[in-house]
Amino acid sequence: MTKFFDNIIEIFTNTKYLFEMLNGLKMTFIISVGAAVLGLLLGTLVAIITLSRSENKLMMIPRAICKVYVTIIRGTPMALQLFIMAFVVFAIRGFPQIVTAIIAFGINSGAYVAENIRAGILSVDIGQTEAGLSLGLSRGTTMMKIVIPQAIKNVIPAIGNELIALIKETSIVSMIGMKDLNMAAQVIGGGNNLATYFAPMLVAALFYLAIVYTLTFAIKRIEKRLRASDKR
Amino acid sequence: MISVKNIYKNFGDISVLKGVSCDIKKGENVVVIGPSGSGKSTFLRCMNLLETPDAGEIWLEGKLLTKPDPALHPEFSAGPKSAVKAALREYQDKHYIKTELARQKMGMVFQHFNLFNNLTVMQNLTLAPTQLKLKTPQEAEAKAVELLNRIGLYDKRDEYPSRLSGGQKQRIAIIRSLCMEPDVMLFDEPTSALDPEMVGEVLFLMKELAREGMTMVVVTHEMGFAREVGSRIVFMDDGRITEEGKPEEFFGNPQNPRLRDFLSKVL
Repeated sequence: MTKFFDNIIEIFTNTKYLFEMLNGLKMTFIISVGAAVLGLLLGTLVAIITLSRSENKLMMIPRAICKVYVTIIRGTPMALQLFIMAFVVFAIRGFPQIVTAIIAFGINSGAYVAENIRAGILSVDIGQTEAGLSLGLSRGTTMMKIVIPQAIKNVIPAIGNELIALIKETSIVSMIGMKDLNMAAQVIGGGNNLATYFAPMLVAALFYLAIVYTLTFAIKRIEKRLRASDKR
Repeated sequence: MISVKNIYKNFGDISVLKGVSCDIKKGENVVVIGPSGSGKSTFLRCMNLLETPDAGEIWLEGKLLTKPDPALHPEFSAGPKSAVKAALREYQDKHYIKTELARQKMGMVFQHFNLFNNLTVMQNLTLAPTQLKLKTPQEAEAKAVELLNRIGLYDKRDEYPSRLSGGQKQRIAIIRSLCMEPDVMLFDEPTSALDPEMVGEVLFLMKELAREGMTMVVVTHEMGFAREVGSRIVFMDDGRITEEGKPEEFFGNPQNPRLRDFLSKVL
């Protein structure tokens, strides 16, 4: 047992191991933030296209594309999507792996976010839209000023869930050889380093937990702020 | 002011409106009554195109809101198909008004109020006039304050709708429409979702509007209101207008057996 604590101390004091960990953390962080931003933008866009009126002929093809996109992404494993991105789509020599990862996770996250936002928009009473239209506001203004602000409030918990899942799922980038937090723990635990996995994996777990906990806390705060108009 | 010409509306297999025509003149208070499912609300919602009629035309102040209905224009039916189409197109271009513009002139009050839940009372009142650049923010706010004072709810200006009672919500919804300074107000069962004790305050405001000469079309089950304020009562049954008249003769001496039956149940 004392060996275990020694190992923990070793990870935090030996600059080689500490750098390994912090670099891994940095990688996980960059991929997560990049993918989250891409996913939110893509998801919002896809949700709005999916919900465009069926009479709108112009949107027919974009709507079909969005449906196919959501179906395929949600119906296939994330690891496989990452492999396809890394070994097929971006199998270009010298192409930065980190960009590949951000795109792969962003596209994946976008499909889930799109479904969350779509559900959020549908959960806003149709009467809100009708009231906006009856005052002579355009569909776009009604959407932007009335429906979306109410939808956002409804989807924050689901989006938070999706972000948490995304952060943890980025750990599979180690499968294409990227040095994220998960990979760092593997390296430190390897035979020519500590030669035991328990301590480094535990430290990595704590790092993930810290990120997720901070995010959860931030989302709770945002939720509380947005609920201002709900006080009864 | 509003002219509804022979409109039809189907929802799937169910035909809700089967040829409804009605002219509403300036200053008139038309009260629409009838059993539920008779198409009253759909008729009202067609007037500002919240529902698009399948056939027929809606006119507002000499402007056409819908597509021209070929059946109403026998003068264009001669000649080849393309010529008819061109004539109808030309007719539409000449008379057409954009839906958004028409709606600005028609206030609508809903059964379930539909105040914007994410906005305060003041923001609810000023959103449309400022967004549409009809008023500067200062003008819009001044108008809103004037109307809030009139209904005695000025102290609620910074509250969110969730903190208001049903009667308060509905009165705010009415003045939200008035902030657009409409030419006509449409009311879709404005008191049906209210507690009985709150019906009075909403009807009182509506009566005041009527007295000031506002043109109104009211779908309601409030027969007292219909009798007192209505300048014309319209009875709808099974997607058609089957009887209309002045309140005295309408309630005093109903001709149609369906109407007599209906009145015996609600009066």
